Amino acid sequence: MALTLTCPVCGKRNGYEFRYGGEDKGPRPAEEGMTPSAWCDYVHMNKCTAGVQKEWWFHRDGCGAWFTTYRDTVANLEVDAPEVTE
Amino acid sequence: MAEIRRESPVDFGVRSLETEVRSDWPVALAYDAEGDGPWVVDLSHKTRWDLQDGQVGELTPAGQSVPATPGMSVLADGILINRMNRTQTSIYHLGSDAPDLPDHPGFTDVTEATIFLALFGPHALHIAEKLSNLDLGDPNKEAPFLLQGPFCHVPCQIVTLEKDAEDGTNGAGGFVLTCSRGYAQSMVHAILDAGAEFGLRPAGEQRFAQWLAALSS
Ligand SMILES: [Zn+2]
Repeated sequence: MALTLTCPVCGKRNGYEFRYGGEDKGPRPAEEGMTPSAWCDYVHMNKCTAGVQKEWWFHRDGCGAWFTTYRDTVANLEVDAPEVTE
Repeated sequence: MAEIRRESPVDFGVRSLETEVRSDWPVALAYDAEGDGPWVVDLSHKTRWDLQDGQVGELTPAGQSVPATPGMSVLADGILINRMNRTQTSIYHLGSDAPDLPDHPGFTDVTEATIFLALFGPHALHIAEKLSNLDLGDPNKEAPFLLQGPFCHVPCQIVTLEKDAEDGTNGAGGFVLTCSRGYAQSMVHAILDAGAEFGLRPAGEQRFAQWLAALSS
């Protein structure tokens, strides 16, 4: 089955309407004490999770909203947010 | 002095019966044998603004407030305001005159970047069903409301202005849509083709004005 994604404005829509925005890496690291290699890691390095990961998507052919959602990269299906276990 | 002439990229392939020039745009007022509907009307000359601001919900374009929720639209005094997302709103001037672009950096006049069509009358929503999987007659929404997504596979803003007109015909109602100007020819071709079985005809601006007046009364 093709990928569908749930836009917070438009609801569940065909994945082809969206542009992938990369893994969600959390907030931009602080400038204070930033080294070039730490910045390079933040910008370029990915976890490439085989399983559920949080990622950014852009509703390009729709409302123009950026949002995060969870996707199982093995099945290529959107999934619910995993329960936090701590 | 150079003479300015603006040109809608929309061409219905038939000559209009009556035309006037308004703000350098030739405007088709009526077509021959417009029939009993459904109709498609080219409104590309009508002024459209885009408004972006982090606090877009607090602004009052043309003196009117912006709807609070994305997907909501309001129509008042011939001005249609559509909340697109958290930071963006589109404003369509459906009446004959538009005020000058407000002196606020968030406004962009996009009239000449897009086409603007109205499709309304008996079976109008049935024609839309052939061209888009968006639900223009969504029973959970109250017209007017905004949909953003593919129509004829082209990213569009679509505003349902009327979803269940009581003219005895199922699927009667109507909507306006905008998309990038370059798609005009294929968009019109696809719409006329899909509407042929329902008797879709090109109509002039007067036909749209009558519908708008009926909606507003
Ligand atoms: Zn959306």
